[in-house]
Order: sequence, then C-alpha cells, then structure tokens
Amino acid sequence: MKTYAVKANEIERGWWVVDASGQTLGRLSTRIATLLEGKHKPTWSPHLDSGDHVVVINAAQIRVTGNKLSQKTYYRHSNYPGGLKAETLDHLLERKPTLVIERAVWGMLPQNRLGRAMLRKLKVYPGPDHPHQAQQPVAVETGEAPTE
Amino acid sequence: MARVKRGVAAHRRHKRLLAQAKGRRGTRSTLIRPAREALFHALVYAYRDRRNRKRDMRRLWIQRINAASRIHGVPYGRFMAGLKNAGITIDRKQLADLAVREPDAFGQLVATSQASFTG
Repeated sequence: MKTYAVKANEIERGWWVVDASGQTLGRLSTRIATLLEGKHKPTWSPHLDSGDHVVVINAAQIRVTGNKLSQKTYYRHSNYPGGLKAETLDHLLERKPTLVIERAVWGMLPQNRLGRAMLRKLKVYPGPDHPHQAQQPVAVETGEAPTE
Repeated sequence: MARVKRGVAAHRRHKRLLAQAKGRRGTRSTLIRPAREALFHALVYAYRDRRNRKRDMRRLWIQRINAASRIHGVPYGRFMAGLKNAGITIDRKQLADLAVREPDAFGQLVATSQASFTG
C-alpha cells in the first residue's frame, strides 16, 4: 500500500470567513494559520499548499490580553543607520488594523515559498464588509467572544 | 612481461564517476575531484535519509489522523488511547489511508474508540 499524496489538481480549496471582533489575537491566528496551511484536512501533504482561503472581517476589533495594547511593539529596520522603527500595537491598530492579524498569522506559517503562497490566501478587512461574497465563504465557529 | 600504463584504467574510472555526477551544479558535474566528493556525500545522505524517511512518513500519518479525527471532534491523542483500550491494532499507516479513502469507516473507528475511552 502506498501512502496517499495529494496532487495539485486534486486540491479542493474552500473559503472561510472569520469574525475577529472581540477575539484574542494569537488564539484566533492559530486557527487561521491551520486553515491556510490545510492542516485540518486528512489529505494534508507537506510538499504542496493544500490550504483554504480565509477572509477575516472586523480586524480592527481584535483584542489582546494584559497591557499588550500599549506594550506590544512592532519593529522594522530601513537598513539605513539609525533606521530602526518601532510602533506599538495601539498605534498600528489605528494606522493599519489589517496588518496586525496578517503579521501574527505570517509568523505562524512556514517561512518559505509555500508559506508565502499560503499567506496570499489570507484576506483581512478592518470592517464587517468583504468583496468575496461570490465565493460563499463558510463562517468559522469562533465561539463566544471572551470577556475580561 | 608487457608494461602496464595506468592512464587507460584511470580514464575509465573517471568516466564512470562523472556518469554518476551528471546533473549536478557547476564543477561538481565536470571536474573529477569535486564530483567525487559530491558523490561520496550524496551516498551518505541517501543512506541516512532512507532511515529518516520512515520517521517522516510516521509523522505525516499522525498529522493526517489528527486532522481526520478532529473533524469528529476528537484530538489525536484521545483517539489513539481509545483505540488501544478497544483492542484495535490498526497501525497509523492504515489509519491515515482510511482517513483519506474511507472517511465513513474512519468515522466509525472514532466512535468505537471514544466508546472505550476512559479519561
């Protein structure tokens, strides 16, 4: 018997929609990353991107625990001397709320060509609307939004 | 006795070596010495990875069984513990294959396993 290996034309890509409002950032991101990777399918194969598309809405309403809103810092460097930029989470949520989830999920995916292909299937929107109605995305059960 | 010169034999040896080194990048496919070193390394990797393959496959089966059993709301560890209690000895290779090709049979296995799962 030969272990099943999924072929590129056999991959069935589903569409999911996730409501991020009130959800904890990391706990939600792991769920999203699993769907993007295709780890929830029994046909999962490590050599191909067999994951689904994930639409995230209400990304601006994401929550974090503790003092991370003012303490979690995003760093990037422009490669010029003294070019280290730092931005706190509340600032980034104000400026570009979709980036928060995109970055969190990016960190949970493989850092290679496959990972980049998986990330391209992630669509994050700050508000409740998204232009993917035609794909009829299935809502992901996120449960009751946790209260502090 | 006739005199034996070594050039002919060496040339044949090198030819055999380069034939095995075809398709490598750069000098590893054209020059004798880099080709020989690359070939020795390749044989070592092949020997090692024939053994690693068995572990890689087992990991893949476990990942697939986990995905399939979670569809029925049971994580991998609880599923396998239940199977053990139920006295079912299907190995992971077969389970992963059932999960892909016979999802209904797999679902029944999950039910059987959970019936005899004890905390």
